[in-house]
Amino acid sequence: MMPAEYYLVLSAAVFCIGLFGILTRENALIFLMSVELMLNAANINLVAFSAQYGNLTGQVFSLFTMGLAAAEVAIGIGIILVLYRNFSDVNVTDATTMRW
Amino acid sequence: MVMIAALLGITLLGAVVTFFADDRYAARLATAISSIPALLSVWMYWQYYQNFQEAGNALLTPGEAAFVQQIPWIELAGFELQYYVGLDGVSMPLLTLTTVLTTLALVSSWTPISERQNQFYGLMLLMEASLIGVFAALDFFLWFVFWEGVLIPMYFLIGVWGGPRRKYAAIKFFVYTNVASLVMFVGFFSLVFGLGDEISTLGLPAIAQALRGGAELGSLFGFPLATVAFVLMFFGFAVKVPVFPVHTWLPDAHVEAPTPVSVMLAGVLLKMGTYALLRFNFTMLGDVAQTLAVPIAAIGVLSVIYGAMLALAQRDLKRIVAYSSISSMGYVILGLISFQEHGVGGATFQMISHGLISGLMFMAVGVIYNETHTRMVGDMSGLADRMPWTVGIFVSAAFGYMGLPLMSGFAAEVLVFLGSFQSTVLPYAPLFTGVAMFGIVVVAGYLLWAMQRSVFGPYRLETDYEVAGAPFHDVAPLVVLLLLVIALGVAPDLSYRMIQHAVNPILDVGGGI
Amino acid sequence: MAGAFTYAPAIAALPFVSFLVALFLGDRMPKGGALAGIAATAGSLLLSAWVALTVAGGATYNQTLYTFIEGIDTFELTLGILIDPLTALMLLIVSLIAFLVHVFSLGYMNDEGETGLPRYYAGLGLFTFSMLSFVYASNILMAFMFFELVGLCSFLLIGFWFREAAPPSAAKKAFLVTRFGDYFFLVGVVGIFATFGTGAFAGAESFPAIAEQALNGEAEVTTFFGMDPQTWFTVLGLLVLGGVMGKSAQFPLHTWLPDAMEGPTPVSALIHAATMVAAGVYLVARMYGFYALSPTALAIIALVGGFTALFAATMGVVKQELKQVLAYSTISQYGYMMLALGAGGYVAAVFHLTTHAMFKALLFLGAGSVIIAMHHNENMWDMGGLKDRMPVTYWTFLSGSLALAGIVPFAGFWSKDEVLFEALIHGLGSDGGLGTVLLAAYAMGLLSVFFTGFYTFRMVFLTFHGKPRTETARKPHGVGWNVKFPLAVLGVLAATIGFLNMVPLEKLTGIHLSFLHDWLAHGGIEMTTSETYGTLLHDVAGVTAHYPLGELGTTLASAAVSLGLALAGVGTAWSLYNVDEPTEHTDKLGSLKTVLMHNYYQDEYQVWLATGVTYPLARAADKFDQGVVDGVVNGVSSVSLFGGGRMRRLQSGVVSNYATLITTALVVLLVAFGLIGGWF
Repeated sequence: MMPAEYYLVLSAAVFCIGLFGILTRENALIFLMSVELMLNAANINLVAFSAQYGNLTGQVFSLFTMGLAAAEVAIGIGIILVLYRNFSDVNVTDATTMRW
Repeated sequence: MVMIAALLGITLLGAVVTFFADDRYAARLATAISSIPALLSVWMYWQYYQNFQEAGNALLTPGEAAFVQQIPWIELAGFELQYYVGLDGVSMPLLTLTTVLTTLALVSSWTPISERQNQFYGLMLLMEASLIGVFAALDFFLWFVFWEGVLIPMYFLIGVWGGPRRKYAAIKFFVYTNVASLVMFVGFFSLVFGLGDEISTLGLPAIAQALRGGAELGSLFGFPLATVAFVLMFFGFAVKVPVFPVHTWLPDAHVEAPTPVSVMLAGVLLKMGTYALLRFNFTMLGDVAQTLAVPIAAIGVLSVIYGAMLALAQRDLKRIVAYSSISSMGYVILGLISFQEHGVGGATFQMISHGLISGLMFMAVGVIYNETHTRMVGDMSGLADRMPWTVGIFVSAAFGYMGLPLMSGFAAEVLVFLGSFQSTVLPYAPLFTGVAMFGIVVVAGYLLWAMQRSVFGPYRLETDYEVAGAPFHDVAPLVVLLLLVIALGVAPDLSYRMIQHAVNPILDVGGGI
Repeated sequence: MAGAFTYAPAIAALPFVSFLVALFLGDRMPKGGALAGIAATAGSLLLSAWVALTVAGGATYNQTLYTFIEGIDTFELTLGILIDPLTALMLLIVSLIAFLVHVFSLGYMNDEGETGLPRYYAGLGLFTFSMLSFVYASNILMAFMFFELVGLCSFLLIGFWFREAAPPSAAKKAFLVTRFGDYFFLVGVVGIFATFGTGAFAGAESFPAIAEQALNGEAEVTTFFGMDPQTWFTVLGLLVLGGVMGKSAQFPLHTWLPDAMEGPTPVSALIHAATMVAAGVYLVARMYGFYALSPTALAIIALVGGFTALFAATMGVVKQELKQVLAYSTISQYGYMMLALGAGGYVAAVFHLTTHAMFKALLFLGAGSVIIAMHHNENMWDMGGLKDRMPVTYWTFLSGSLALAGIVPFAGFWSKDEVLFEALIHGLGSDGGLGTVLLAAYAMGLLSVFFTGFYTFRMVFLTFHGKPRTETARKPHGVGWNVKFPLAVLGVLAATIGFLNMVPLEKLTGIHLSFLHDWLAHGGIEMTTSETYGTLLHDVAGVTAHYPLGELGTTLASAAVSLGLALAGVGTAWSLYNVDEPTEHTDKLGSLKTVLMHNYYQDEYQVWLATGVTYPLARAADKFDQGVVDGVVNGVSSVSLFGGGRMRRLQSGVVSNYATLITTALVVLLVAFGLIGGWF
């Protein structure tokens, strides 16, 4: 069996890539993808620990996370469409009209 | 006994029905509905007067409380929350005051309220239900729900139907009293957690008895927990009363609120504060109250004199009455801290009496305003010429406010003075009493001054409309209130005996006596 | 003979019924409710007479009728009736005057076509009710309650003509000034209950009785501030005295009374002769057993009385309006009564109260008659020569004036002489400060006899003698029977009521003539008889009599001096004013006259106290409230709003910034936890 550290390093790397994407990019689609990466990083953790403990809860939870991610993408795409319709662009820094 | 549940149910249901009623008949419908709890509570009062006259305090001798209903509700964090209601000699008169005054206030709204009537009357009934709950609830959680529930209709009643600065007044009222509730809540729960395993419910009797039983509460930041809780709760209730220096929401709220709402505000809402002070601070933490007697009495006396002085400086009739309420509530504080039968009993009687008299004053000012469209003392004079009956009642009410004998205010004030003068808890009690009593001179000063300027003298009011006598349904509630004031003034024992029996247990275990 | 006492509550209840009838049915009744009032007061008068006869038979009555407030672990507050010789006498006076005033009002109000008559008669009824209830109150709380109601009624009646500017103002002033006195009274009442646990006037359980026992060390009472009982009782007595000084218009709380002349004249008669103003003095007489225990309180009462007598008499000298002169004479005469009470002359005070009630009611009603005749012009300089045109008024008014001036054998002579006599002998006999104070008060009282004679006859001559000075005075309005009848009754009484108690004559002839002494000395209730008071005065307060010229000699000398001074005053007025065309001789007083016309600037300083001190203080409090107290509240809200305004700038709306913030915060938190948790 592979040691847990490998999974954790992989998960951390994926998470950091996602975080990097969110912090540096302004394109809404890339945002969405980055969020997806971060969620998957969490999933890797869940599944890895689940396998380590021989307990299925973690795997079930990762299924929940996937469902959540799917829902989030659906809503995210919807928001992006509206964003494009209103600003003719999908740059997230443009949409500041609702701040106050 | 399902009496209290019936009162609550009818008013709540009435509120809902009125919300959906048509504007054309909402006023009459709401009045009719509210007369049911009014009559029911009068009947209950009669029952109490006959059968429970000698009953003790609902918190300290809960077995003797009347109309008790106790149903387990939810279990939360190790505490059992209950639907637990019941009445004793303190809450019975206040409850009756609430229902009767609501009905009269609803009748007095017929003239001034012309917009969104269904919503107005619905909110009034909703407020009545909450007020009934506040006075009847014997479980903290239930009580707190009603306590906060009063704020919501009140906020809308001031904010929607009020005068020009209604938004400011409504928000000030809501935020101020809500912050106070928060502080009080923290104070109370520090007590609950201090008691720990000694209680398993949030029933007020259980808590009161545990506290009076000498439970060890520990300390907080080096202060005894009981003192910290007392101060926090005192602050929370003092805002509601209100006393100096946390009174400034009151004049704004009163001036902006429409007449019937002012009536409820002065007549019943202020009593929530003093009622809660009596129930929580002075019943549960009597020993702490006695150690803090001097500052509390000082707050009371200061409120009396300061409120009266402020009233003296006002020109708006409604503001005058509003500030004088602060003055009258100061007497209640002074009476409560005396820990004497006549002092605490007199303070409770003063709650009833002030509820009636201030309600009467606000209504009378409202009737005058309905006809003249001004409340400024300098704008009018000689109104007695045009509206003799209204002015006659206004003058009677003003004298009632000044504590004229054979009206309820006199009995209440004399009792408070008699109690506080001989208080053994309060050092220099005669001095405090003597200073507070000077309020009766100042109150005469500003009310007589206001009357001389506004209702007597040559008739003068520049209007483009005819000022005539008020319609019957405006004057009728005034007459009813005036008769009640005189009845209680001639025979205080109608309420005072049950009050005495209910407050005496508080004094017994009071510690220092 | 319990019969009369069973009906005693009706004495007060009848006028109350007439109040209700006049208020609610007056519009539909002939004469606006006057007849109900007349019937009720006549009934009260008859019942009072019956009660007085019963009391004359030796019976007394002291009964609690109604428990106002029960005490469970403490004292109770009750209402009850106390009837002793003093009460019986006062009941008679009050109901008689009230009855006559009601009759007179038919002429003064109804015949003059006044509006608002039901309100007027309702006020009179309530006034009579309150005063009668006050008179037979059995305890001090009940006395206070009706004392206050009397104040209310005076407010309502003084302000009867509310459509004018002045009467409401005068009414306000009357209520406010007396309220100021009542404040002290109420503190005293509360103090008495706290000290003794009872407020009863009479009986073994009454507070004067307990006080006496406490002074003898036979009873324990609670005193406050660590005072010994003697000092504390003096404090209590002086507090109650505050109310007395307000109602009885004693210096410095006398300022409301002259203003109260704005009310209808019959009301003035009622207020000044028998009800409101008399209530104060009556209260001191009622609880005299308590005052007799404190020499300090007695000295202060005497000093206030003597000073007020002189002070008010000097102001009466320069007044131009008929009712103003009478107003100041009222203040002055009540000063005499206070002087008597302070000097230990209980009987003398009650005697003067009785005679004064008769002649002052007479003078006011006479003035009312003149005012009707003069079409409501009250200035004496517009009158003159009314003697021939209204003889009934003139002769009765003269009778009253002779009584007021204290000319033998009219009523005022006997009573005023006895007042001064008591002050003199007790001033000479008592030791220490009390004696000195009594002598000083006596001197002031004696001096004012001269002024009284002068201003009374200045008024009589200006009004009735000489030549008419205006057209109205030449052709005065006639008055009817309803005016003449009360005048005639009172005129006879003013001349004769002094025969009740002719002490100098008794001493001279040896025939028993001091009936009032006998009357007030009998009765079976503790602490109500003049003999008890005499013992207490002597034993506790140290009031002792001394007769420098022997008993007879001193009596006669005192009578001669006061009569001489009164005659001198009358004579001065005669020589100056009993001419066809009198001139304003008081102008010769120069700037003193200005001071007197302004009443020693008493009103000015009291108005200044109200509008120059209290009101600005209230304004300042309002400013403080709006600025500081509410300012803090609004400040908290402003700070919150400002802080919120700044904080929201964090919400840039740029999602990347939020992400950066979240990440940074997370890292910072992790590092912080790590440092604290010792992970590194």
